[in-house]
Amino acid sequence: MSDVKSSFSKALFSGIILDDLIFPYPKMKKEEAENFALISETFTKFAHDNIDPVKIDTDAEISKEVIDGLKELGFFGLNIPEQYDGFGLGATAYTKMLAVISEFDSSLPLMLGAHQSIGLKALILFGSEDQKKKYLPKLVTGEMIAAFCLTEPEAGSDAAGIKTKAVRDEKNKYYILNGSKLWITNGGLADFFTVFAKEVIEKDGEQSEKITAFLVTTDMGGISRGKEENKMGIKGSSTTEIYFQDVKVPFENIIGERGKGFKVAMEVLNTGRAGLAGGSLGALKNLMKFTMQHVTQRKQFKKTLNQFEAIKKKIAQLTIDLYAAESMVYLTTGLMDRGNLDYSLESAMCKIRATEVTWNGVNECLQMAGGLGFMKEYPYERCLRDSRINMIFEGTNEILRLFVALSGIQERGEYLKNIGKALKDPIKGFGLLTDYATVWIKERITTDRIRSVHASLMAAKTDFENWCKNLHITSERVLMAHGKDIMYREMITMRLADAAIDLYAMIATISRVNSRIEETNEEICAREIKICNTFCQQAWRRVRRNLLTIDKNNDAELTEIADYISDIKEYPYHTN
Amino acid sequence: MNIAVCVKQVPDTETRIQIGDDKKSIKEDDIKFILNPYDEFGVEEALKITEKNGGEVTIISLGPDRVVSSIRSALAMGAHKAIHIKADHNPADPAAIADALSGVLKEGSYDLIFTGKQAIDDDHAQMASLLAERLDIPAINVVVKLDVNGNKVRAEREIEGAHEIIECSTPCIISTQRGLNEPRYAALKGIMAAKKIMIEARESSISNNQIEIVEYNYPPDKSKGKIIGDSADSVPELIRLLNEEAKVI
Repeated sequence: MSDVKSSFSKALFSGIILDDLIFPYPKMKKEEAENFALISETFTKFAHDNIDPVKIDTDAEISKEVIDGLKELGFFGLNIPEQYDGFGLGATAYTKMLAVISEFDSSLPLMLGAHQSIGLKALILFGSEDQKKKYLPKLVTGEMIAAFCLTEPEAGSDAAGIKTKAVRDEKNKYYILNGSKLWITNGGLADFFTVFAKEVIEKDGEQSEKITAFLVTTDMGGISRGKEENKMGIKGSSTTEIYFQDVKVPFENIIGERGKGFKVAMEVLNTGRAGLAGGSLGALKNLMKFTMQHVTQRKQFKKTLNQFEAIKKKIAQLTIDLYAAESMVYLTTGLMDRGNLDYSLESAMCKIRATEVTWNGVNECLQMAGGLGFMKEYPYERCLRDSRINMIFEGTNEILRLFVALSGIQERGEYLKNIGKALKDPIKGFGLLTDYATVWIKERITTDRIRSVHASLMAAKTDFENWCKNLHITSERVLMAHGKDIMYREMITMRLADAAIDLYAMIATISRVNSRIEETNEEICAREIKICNTFCQQAWRRVRRNLLTIDKNNDAELTEIADYISDIKEYPYHTN
Repeated sequence: MNIAVCVKQVPDTETRIQIGDDKKSIKEDDIKFILNPYDEFGVEEALKITEKNGGEVTIISLGPDRVVSSIRSALAMGAHKAIHIKADHNPADPAAIADALSGVLKEGSYDLIFTGKQAIDDDHAQMASLLAERLDIPAINVVVKLDVNGNKVRAEREIEGAHEIIECSTPCIISTQRGLNEPRYAALKGIMAAKKIMIEARESSISNNQIEIVEYNYPPDKSKGKIIGDSADSVPELIRLLNEEAKVI
């Protein structure tokens, strides 16, 4: 895998718009679209007959019948290449499929996603031919279920701080693996684990601890599971601790290179985040159906709820935010399907935006349902519980924001003051990958304008260009002012990240609608044009606020207050 | 056993049907098309029979290019071959469709021919009988249970308040009803295999269409309910209205 790839969003921080990555809006190839239609039809039929989200939530497990049914139909091999008997879906169709599954239940896509998006993904991306031949056919059928084992009690966001150890036994040609992994999705089901552990590697006479990725299976012995965690939501998915005690892992079960495990982990998570983003939106779409039934039927003051402006605003905002987030997700999966591009920032931005749009959207749906929304008989509270985790796992949204901003400005740092290098280590500390080089500056005729779009979208396009320029200028200014200390100025970098996310959402939405107009006509797209333009206006105003508050803000006061409260560890005020 | 299943592509039951501006057609732009659910029973039954006795299942469908996706759905369930009889649109007259289908069926020497008891779009429910006449073989309609033993066919069919059991020899036509079986889901493996099957395309000339659609109209809006009263005293008036106005009792 080459380390030299262009990234739309990293370039954005430097005021450069690589618009050929964005236009036209990607779409599935005909054959993939046909395949997707058929499998989503299969899933929908199966789900109607067999899947009861209330039962899954109450039983806190997915029944054996459902799991076996999904195995038999082939849903454990969606993204496994055809030559290993899989269905070979690309990122777009795979993500769409997760979204369809999420419309029925939130635990199912977690089980299938932990298996495919992350559990076996390292094997697909970095595995040797022998490893693939050995394991993929069993993973396709679900004979083996996979899990991804990175997080440890002491290493959550600080993934590089893992303590699981692998000690090399040269004589017997295996590693001895010891340690434990926390909150492992599919922990109770899996028999195939992608495990990250530290080993001592000697280079030029010096010893250092490096992370290596291993394929570990239960038949190696020494693996045990903790009890099922009692979770707030996604209760049907299995989450346990996994213990490794003197597990003998043969040398041939290293994935990728020795000491390069961190990169393996980050590549896997980069691809996984887009799937998670798409899935979360599927759940919101489904809840919206319930909500719209309610607000168009329920009457108060002799009017249905949807006739009140207070409700209209919520419905419209939900639709707009969902449309924009969806545009980001499938633009990003399109970038992933093109190959040889760096989509690490984009997939992180999708994960942040989609999971927050879903959380807020579910909350608004529940609010529109009023008292019903609070009752267990209705799906609202379950959706709320299920969607909360999305903002925490696969990189918390806070860590991902720092990653987006620091990776973005790091490029400028390199160029400006050679402080980029100094920024690399702390970003790595966040458990994210930064070692893509920047070719686009040399190779491309750079531009700060994008190609022409349809007349109805011109204003949005101009706003996008203007605020890109502002992001670029602000990023440089911030870098000049803070140097490498910028990595500690999280209140500032968070704002840069939020601005970048809105800009990416703007261009994704513009591109989607523009391509729609090109394929159909302005009249057919009238409402989508309205959605796009409304979103873009809301978005650039947020961008403006975020960039303005980089200079004028209360960060110093906030810091002081937070430090004081942290000292005394409680809220100390009361009224008389 | 050599089996043909005649299938039709129809709008999904959940689709909101919009009538075209000419009032003689429906707008197809936003319609999700599916395999006619009654035809699915036929596909399933055909597959079960060939799984037990060997043989091949051929899917036959008439219509514009979009019907290929429904043919693929049937192939993905496990059917072996498919013939697409191309037509710009489905003619309004089932007899015209039967002419085209029977032309293709005659070439195949099929032991059994399945078709759904009706299509859920135009609901004519004529195809099995029309084909039987053209092929000069028996048809058993609305079948809920089927046993095939060599060339003997024993079918149970729904009639008013009872089941009728009919026996005949192959070749024959069976029109399928809900309850006959539970159609399988198309597994991903089947979908992959279906992609590799060449669908044989046939040109057709639809002639002899004797039915014309004059006009489509939406069903009238439901009129508002009427509350007669909320005590036992209102019952006589309710009965009078149900009898005289609503004419339901």
